[in-house]
Amino acid sequence: MQETRLPEIIQENLPPSNPVERMATLTTGYTPDLERELQEEPSYYDYPVLKAPVWRWEIIWYFFFGGLAAGCYVIATIASLFGSKEDRAVVRTGYYLSLLAVLPCPPLLIKDLGRPERFLHMLRMFKFKSPMSMGTWALLSFSLFSGLTAVIQAARDGILGRWWGAKLLAALPQRLLALPGTATGLFLGGYTGVLLTATSVPLWSRSKVLGAVFISSAISTSSAMISLVLRVAGAPAHTLHKLERLEWTALLLEITGILTFLRQSGRAARPLVGTAPAEHGRTFWSFVFGGGLVIPWLLQTFSLLSGQRKNKQRNGRGIIISLLVLMGGYFLRRTMIEAGHTSSKDARTTLWNAKR
Amino acid sequence: MAVEPSQDTLNGQGSSLRAVVSMLVGNKMPPLPQQPAMGFFTDTSLCIGCKACEVACKQWNQLPASDPGWTGSSYDNTGQLSATTWRHVQFIEHIGRREDGQNGYSGVRSDISGQIAQAKKDNVIPLIPPGTALPFFNTDRWLMQSDVCKHCANAPCLEACPTGAIIRTEFDTVYVQQDICNGCGYCVVACPFGVIARDERGTHTARKCTLCYDRMKDGIEPACAKACPTDSIQFGEVAKLKAHARERLGILHERGVKEARLYGVDDDILDGGLNSFFLLLDEPEVYNLPANPQRPSNNVVPASLWTILAAMVLGLFGIIFFRE
Repeated sequence: MQETRLPEIIQENLPPSNPVERMATLTTGYTPDLERELQEEPSYYDYPVLKAPVWRWEIIWYFFFGGLAAGCYVIATIASLFGSKEDRAVVRTGYYLSLLAVLPCPPLLIKDLGRPERFLHMLRMFKFKSPMSMGTWALLSFSLFSGLTAVIQAARDGILGRWWGAKLLAALPQRLLALPGTATGLFLGGYTGVLLTATSVPLWSRSKVLGAVFISSAISTSSAMISLVLRVAGAPAHTLHKLERLEWTALLLEITGILTFLRQSGRAARPLVGTAPAEHGRTFWSFVFGGGLVIPWLLQTFSLLSGQRKNKQRNGRGIIISLLVLMGGYFLRRTMIEAGHTSSKDARTTLWNAKR
Repeated sequence: MAVEPSQDTLNGQGSSLRAVVSMLVGNKMPPLPQQPAMGFFTDTSLCIGCKACEVACKQWNQLPASDPGWTGSSYDNTGQLSATTWRHVQFIEHIGRREDGQNGYSGVRSDISGQIAQAKKDNVIPLIPPGTALPFFNTDRWLMQSDVCKHCANAPCLEACPTGAIIRTEFDTVYVQQDICNGCGYCVVACPFGVIARDERGTHTARKCTLCYDRMKDGIEPACAKACPTDSIQFGEVAKLKAHARERLGILHERGVKEARLYGVDDDILDGGLNSFFLLLDEPEVYNLPANPQRPSNNVVPASLWTILAAMVLGLFGIIFFRE
């Protein structure tokens, strides 16, 4: 309980020669001018207007695993409905990975609650207006479908043995069940961004494209994860090629989404892209935008253009791309949540954001 | 006036069957009869900064004291509203405001010694004594405001709450049911005023001003309004209070207090105004109040549409790539 908090001035005047700072100015279209803001914008001793979020590492990992689970499921379903026989490897891997990724989600969410023993109270309501309520129901129904689809897959793969129960499970219509499962999966992959948008935190709520960024990230990290597993297991090059192209598209959409997000947020995006002590620009530009998006996207472009080469060389590069994309997906969520904490403490930007 | 819940469903014939039905339908108790909307009018022009409201609130609601500490910025050592502080008196010390503009914040001290020298030279006692901090009559001002939950007509915390713990009472106030809340923290980031907070030391649930729901049920005014010695905090029916607020604003304007303005009365904040509103003596930002905050739930539809669009684009490309 921080009852008495000293005023916190988030922004600082920094030399514009700093390359990270230059990127921040360029993408947000906003140059901080602390002297002018202090003079012209009244505030109450810079005490925060908002309360800081209570969400910490549990939510970051939940966002990451939730996106992974949703994306793997969606990709597996697309491969199952439209893919060739070779692509069955994607279906299998996707459904298994989806179940594995969704398993840690409920414990993480329950641990995050102030009163974990009351987690069932989440199911008292079905509230359209509250993304968290809708998300709870989406996670619940998705877990059901994900579990069922994965069990059917296991039965068909012969993991469950040859008894009558396994045969019965294998006979269930997996493709039909995957349709509502995919709908809940897409919801799960994107609603987290909508949830953050439906708050009062300037960074999260000013632009409306965070959900689009998160769903793109869900697809890009998932295709990276599936192709990583398939590469290690040794899948046909043709199937991997399909995944690579999907990953390339998702990364491109994610880069576009993030640039749109930064431009629309303007000043509110400072905690994410700036370099002041409380801001997260260094992590964002190196681990999310640079290392997690642009570099793997360029590597992927090069790889796709260069065509079929030696398999070994391709595999090495593919694994590196996958790892970079997964790292970027994690740090996207991490910097977004942590910068949201900073944003909620910035009184002047909050007051500026509320002037319309 | 006490409002008792109807006992029909509990004692009537076939109560067990009805109980089962009502449990399935989820309607355990008939809604309480609607009362007129009740709220606060906090008139900051009358506040003397005695903090009696803070103390009365803590005492009545049995809230623990905050850690003692000095902010060093003003007489305000409470700092903020919190899970266990539901009234917070702000002290806005505008000493040395710029003399030309009416809302200067340049930090240029008014030239008190110069004024005194001038007065000595002219041998005239100035109408406004130099260096005084009385409100209204001087460029130096000392504004005070007792901040509280706004009990918004469209409360973002209520709209965000996934458990239904936050409800609207029969008095049209916003109330957190402590036995339902599971401390998810979504209301904390939804509130545009930074009012509701999670009690990290005690209950671990979200807590905020109840507008003394328990006292209202017995027809008594909230503790802070009762304790306020200057009637800066007034409690009553929202419609009547708003009329009173407009009247008070008219009187102040008539007397030349041009800076006076209402917050949450006629401005349609959060698409419906506030049930706990204020008369301010400066821009809302001076009191750390957002001028026109957006309603978080209004973002759900546009954000969802962008997400659906992105999902459709990715799905389409996925189908195209895997078809080949």
